[in-house]
Amino acid sequence: MKKIKKQDVPALLVKWQQDFTVFAPSKKSGVSRMEVWDGQDTAFLDRNRNTVIPPKANFLLNIEKMFDFRKEGGSYTLEPAGGEAPRQLLFGIHPCDARATAIIDMVFKDAYEDNYYLGRRRNSVLVGMGCTSPYDSCFCTSLGFGPAEAADVDMMLTDIGDAFVIEEVTDKGKELLAGAEGVTEATADDTKKADAAKAAAAAKVTRKINVEEIRKRIPLSFDDKKFWEKVSAKCVSCGICTFLCPTCYCFDINDEMLKSGSGARYRNWDCCSFPLYTKMPAENPRAEKWRRVRQKVHHKYAFYPELFNIIACTGCGRCIRQCPVNWDITQILASLPAGAPAAAEKK
Amino acid sequence: MSETEQKLRSEARDLLEKGRVNHIIGYEAGSLKFSTTPLITSDKEDTDRLVINPFINNNLSVFLGEVGGKAGIVARGCDARSIVSLIQDKQLAREDVFIIGVPCGGIIDLDKVEKLTGLDRDEIDDIAWQGDKAAVTIGGARKEFPAKEVLTDDCLSCEPPDPREYDLLIGEVGPLVTDGELGRSKIKELEAMTPEQRWEFWKSEFSRCIRCYACRQVCPACFCNRCFSEETEPAWISPLPRWQDNLVFQAIRMIHVAGRCTNCGECERACPVNIPLRSLSKKMEEIVDELFHYRAGTDKEAPPLMAAYQPEEAEDFIR
Repeated sequence: MKKIKKQDVPALLVKWQQDFTVFAPSKKSGVSRMEVWDGQDTAFLDRNRNTVIPPKANFLLNIEKMFDFRKEGGSYTLEPAGGEAPRQLLFGIHPCDARATAIIDMVFKDAYEDNYYLGRRRNSVLVGMGCTSPYDSCFCTSLGFGPAEAADVDMMLTDIGDAFVIEEVTDKGKELLAGAEGVTEATADDTKKADAAKAAAAAKVTRKINVEEIRKRIPLSFDDKKFWEKVSAKCVSCGICTFLCPTCYCFDINDEMLKSGSGARYRNWDCCSFPLYTKMPAENPRAEKWRRVRQKVHHKYAFYPELFNIIACTGCGRCIRQCPVNWDITQILASLPAGAPAAAEKK
Repeated sequence: MSETEQKLRSEARDLLEKGRVNHIIGYEAGSLKFSTTPLITSDKEDTDRLVINPFINNNLSVFLGEVGGKAGIVARGCDARSIVSLIQDKQLAREDVFIIGVPCGGIIDLDKVEKLTGLDRDEIDDIAWQGDKAAVTIGGARKEFPAKEVLTDDCLSCEPPDPREYDLLIGEVGPLVTDGELGRSKIKELEAMTPEQRWEFWKSEFSRCIRCYACRQVCPACFCNRCFSEETEPAWISPLPRWQDNLVFQAIRMIHVAGRCTNCGECERACPVNIPLRSLSKKMEEIVDELFHYRAGTDKEAPPLMAAYQPEEAEDFIR
């Protein structure tokens, strides 16, 4: 275990800036999200709550140019956009968001390797920060980890007051700390303080879901139209819960074309709550709202576990906290019916 | 439970029991601190969960087009105006809705409370009206703030806060503190800017937009079956959330809801990236009033402003 005083962190970030674009949580744009560190702001060292925009925005861009295309005569020439992904260091990412990133890595390198996403991931360093003030919407401890989980980052910081205890997780993390000024060995007393801080943080996560019960019930709920109609009634079909979800990864593809026929292809976030989702290539198979709400819940708690053996939700609580109508997935999961619907009610 | 709540619950139960409505649309306690959530039900037992408090944010009239049959809906002043506007636009028949008017004491703006206290809402223990002050309890200590400092800007400029169109009015109109000038202070700041400054301001605001369309989805005046923003031939705006397209989307949306928007402020509250949309909608309301002497949702017999033509129109192009 290493240790760094909070006052020495800015110098370390400056050092890292030589090799990386350093990002840190900030509200300077008017909403909290990962911003390029300005070399000044250190507010996140003392108060670092979940950002509104999840750090997935650093890997899955909301506007990503895929390639340029040029029309010449009857054929097109394609020019890949961007080149090498930028080297970025995300300072202060929370365990829920780091876990979420690890979860969606699976889909982006499954049948097809998505190099737009994976390129950014490969060139990124995650400096995790234990979450010390979870929101009342947080429920990470129900999903097999907690606000101090270090497994998904390169190094993990735990706030012990005027300093951070640092756990080196990957070789990349170790290299970044080697010989860094201000980084010392943590004492036994420091690690004791860190353990206490971790336990205190976990105790603050009071919202719970029962994953075992959900695993049993969710497959039975698929045909329960009445249940889904009831729990979807107040949904307004906006994109907040999807766009702010760190594990939602759908994107739409759009071309911007000049009259000449040349232009560029882009992708941007898409959302299965939108009535027009997938309307462009075909039809939306989920025209009714209850089907879309069912899709959201089943994708995270049934389909993704079937495909990748992990629930695609990390309990970050954004979908609850930011929802304009307080649609609360933990309530939906808790109210899943114990049995399958009678045949007559199936749809 | 307040007297108003008690009365609301028994009236709502009665409406369902007697079959006078098929659904009740109201508010129940939310799952987060200082939150409420829409309660849409046809089960009379659920009516025991109805609440009325300073956190009833949503304009519930947005659900009227979705529930089949006749709906009994809890309506504040702004909601009742939205319902009237929907009737004017023939989106709703008056007889298909039973308006349960509730006197509105105004909605507490949690963003303002957060600014005043320096804390996030989940870190605050209690917020309650104490006469014309909001008593905020944090860690056992109590602080009082004048209503004017914590009410939403929309509520400060609300007129009238009590529903004028209703089938049943529950409770008496409480003392709502209004202060139109204070309610438009953000607009005044914008008016004082040069056009260049204003352009830079909105450019910066719309740079944050993620195009989640929450502003449109929570808006009762946005009732189009298909939004212009999703048309593909022609594509009026790009689906990519660039600031330019975000701004054009909102500018067109605001023009589409001019004369329909009742300034409930729900678009701004819903926006996850804090774009001050209400500065646009309120200004639009003022322009509509100034040019056409028209106030949205105040007369259900009046032809809708933007969907009616009069022979004496000033502009040639419309004849």
